[in-house]
Amino acid sequence: MTFDKFKILVVAAAEKSGIDQYELYYSTAEGTSVSVFAHEVSEFSSEVSGGVCFRCIVNGKMGYASTQELSESQAESIVKRASENALSLDNEDMEFLGEGGKTYQNVSAPDYTLPTTDELIKAALHTEQAAYDADSAVIDGTSTTAASEISSIAIFNSKGLDLHYENKMSVIMTDVVTTDGTEMANDRSVKAGNFSKIDFAAVAKEATASAKAKLGADVAPTGAYPVVFAPKAMASFLRVFSKAFSSEEAQKGLSPLKGREGTVVAADSVTITDDPFYSESLMPIGFDAEGSPTYKKNVVEKGVLNTLLYNLKTAAAAGKETTGNASKAGYDAPVEIRPFTMYIAPGSISEEELLKKAGNGVYVDSLGGLHAGANTVSGDFSLQSSGFMIENGVKTKAVKSFTVAGNFYDMLKNITAISDKVELPGLGGMTAFGSPAVLVEGLTIAGK
Amino acid sequence: MIERDVCERVLAVAVSTGADYAELFCENTVDHAVNMIAGKVDSVKDGYIAGASVRVYKGLRSVMASTIDTTEQGLISCAKKAAEALGQGKAEISICLTQRIFGDIHPIKIVPSTVKNSDKIEVLRRACNAAKEYDGAIKQVKGTLLDVDHGIMIATSEGLYTTDRQIRTRLSMESVAEIGGETQTGTASPGRRMGMEMFDGLISPEETGREASRQAVTMAGAGYAPAGTMPVVIGNGFGGVIFHEACGHSLEATSVAYGCSQFCGKLGQQIANPKVTAVDDGTIPGAWGSINIDDEGTPARKNVLIEKGVLKSYMIDKFNSRRMGMEPTGNARRQSYGYTPTSRMTNTYIAAGDDKNEDIIASVEYGLYAKAMGGGSVNPTTGEFNFAVREGYMIRGGKVCEAVRGACLVGKGSDVIMNIDMVGPDLDMGQGMCGSSSGSIPANVGQPMIRVSSITVGGR
Repeated sequence: MTFDKFKILVVAAAEKSGIDQYELYYSTAEGTSVSVFAHEVSEFSSEVSGGVCFRCIVNGKMGYASTQELSESQAESIVKRASENALSLDNEDMEFLGEGGKTYQNVSAPDYTLPTTDELIKAALHTEQAAYDADSAVIDGTSTTAASEISSIAIFNSKGLDLHYENKMSVIMTDVVTTDGTEMANDRSVKAGNFSKIDFAAVAKEATASAKAKLGADVAPTGAYPVVFAPKAMASFLRVFSKAFSSEEAQKGLSPLKGREGTVVAADSVTITDDPFYSESLMPIGFDAEGSPTYKKNVVEKGVLNTLLYNLKTAAAAGKETTGNASKAGYDAPVEIRPFTMYIAPGSISEEELLKKAGNGVYVDSLGGLHAGANTVSGDFSLQSSGFMIENGVKTKAVKSFTVAGNFYDMLKNITAISDKVELPGLGGMTAFGSPAVLVEGLTIAGK
Repeated sequence: MIERDVCERVLAVAVSTGADYAELFCENTVDHAVNMIAGKVDSVKDGYIAGASVRVYKGLRSVMASTIDTTEQGLISCAKKAAEALGQGKAEISICLTQRIFGDIHPIKIVPSTVKNSDKIEVLRRACNAAKEYDGAIKQVKGTLLDVDHGIMIATSEGLYTTDRQIRTRLSMESVAEIGGETQTGTASPGRRMGMEMFDGLISPEETGREASRQAVTMAGAGYAPAGTMPVVIGNGFGGVIFHEACGHSLEATSVAYGCSQFCGKLGQQIANPKVTAVDDGTIPGAWGSINIDDEGTPARKNVLIEKGVLKSYMIDKFNSRRMGMEPTGNARRQSYGYTPTSRMTNTYIAAGDDKNEDIIASVEYGLYAKAMGGGSVNPTTGEFNFAVREGYMIRGGKVCEAVRGACLVGKGSDVIMNIDMVGPDLDMGQGMCGSSSGSIPANVGQPMIRVSSITVGGR
């Protein structure tokens, strides 16, 4: 059954039950992925997925139910389940559905053609070969995947919202394994965009070089050092701690940034921006999960917390306007709050100058275990790290298996320099994080 | 579930271009969760997941296609897509399915999807109230009661046609405590492969809430853990996450079959301290990570991975079993039909040893006692792992002293399992959700109290 047909059945079921405030959120994805191993295609997958979430306001409360089966019985079932769930709630939140008739920034899907299956296979094999060619240290175990996806989102509600968004992307990923005969080290590189413009050999070379650089790494010595976080390390911090910028977390007493709008929360060189239309975003979108228009804003401006991120409900509770940051983790998830592309704005010095400024310290290239070793409520973190020593202002020997510990909220205030180039590592999807390299004084390194 | 004759027609299309193996997997899952915050029911998640996937193999090539359209026409077109992607050829095998019924060693007394919201809310309220009342320092309490009713059907070109129904229930509590401006969290999250009868005597909602609050209050009053390399005693239960991360992932065929593991080619060799015997057992009745059959239809079993330090077995799924030339071990798992299944852990633990807990603590002159662990992660290629200590104490002169917070443990799997040099008697399990290429799946980790003679503690 098509969504349009299902929608009519759901609306009829809702009206039959006397429900007059409701919304349907529908998302779909159609993807193809090819993985190669040892010069042959090892796995191929083709996926069609999607689902509908129905939510409705009953007795002032918002109930949700979702389904992947677009059938007559499920149309009735989701209405019944959502209204029962609404009646189970006893929170004191005021609930809202987005009003129709708003003006949105016009965004269109990328104007290139997605690669065919054969082109995906060719790209993956080509990238893999380029890794083997780049260095004799590259061994089997190296895996490469090329994928493409078309996705869509639709929101339809009883207040006149009827929005539709379609996006597409293609991506190449390679995880290169290298060895020096005694140990192995690996690293990955990801590039998304128009396949006719991607330099696959460069992607392979980048992963190969960074995997190889890790070989022979020593454990860093324990102590307190100036630390330079590489863009991808700092972006992963932002990914975890972005939760603290959610007004929902603040209103629930789970963010230390509660009540701090207008006050200094970071060094005055720090500006943190959220931009749904960032040039490298893979999913620029003009409306949020409640259908509110999205826009670019500085969350932190020159060290001052300018605004938290709001949706309709939290904005009403705070007597403010939504910032257009309503977000769903999946079609079946509740409406929460997330940034789109959140990044630390660039500074004015190059990474080389930043290293010079650090003098002697540690360059943290990547961080591990952020899901467990970082506490968004207290800001404390203690994280597995790897990177390089910095000696006399330059990166020297590789170090690994050490931890860097501190407090994120203190660290924001202790950023002493920011490099001039923002990088958006990995695959962001609708929520992406970026950063330049940053220098922080006085963090604890635990190693040998 | 899909009729047998429909499955036969779908599989016939799947093998029509020369596949030497084909599988149809269908799923119907009811996914339900009630969330309570500050004593109020905040949200209810209520989802129905339904779909199917067709997989075909030819030699060392695997193709999967998935769909949400489970009509015969939808399944046939999904099978066609998989067959076409495999290449050009003609059918070399014929399909004839016979039904097989596996035993269910996890009887469910109260199926959660048939229980009213109000009864679930009552359980949650008991846990949240107990957590809040535990101590005046408790500032916030969050609780989730989730239940999953996961029905699967598997039909393969080898003739298998079978179903399984996996029901799980879990109570997750999180308390936030504030002492002198210092905010810390504590958690307790017991789960079982059971229905709501889990709360009739086995798991107390009140104790779960109080445990989360006790941990939060203890940590809010604690100073920072020191940084450096030292002996560490790790408590039982969820402490087993150390084996899960440091070693377990590197024993999965997902890594081993591709040469991406520190334990490749080490069967029969001493890879761990002789004190270490480690097991993956998918057959423990009612346990969080248990399955009757895996997601390829192979019956779950008890696999001894390491016996007295000697590597005995890997965890292997059907596809990787071809590359490795070894039989599947009942470990193929997938979150859902949209993920390609691969080898994963079930209930994985270090077996009880013969050291006494008091001797283990007494043996440490200066070190850390990690009473409760948080999550972790590993790079199976290099074996480098990390995990967070949720509740830690210093050990001085063989005695447990003050609580410390903010520690994490890092190291290399092959080193750390050599350094487990004392193993206590009190084996217990903890529940987790394990994330990997085939999605997020429920897995138990477990161990008795152990001592690691030397490991890097990240503190400050």
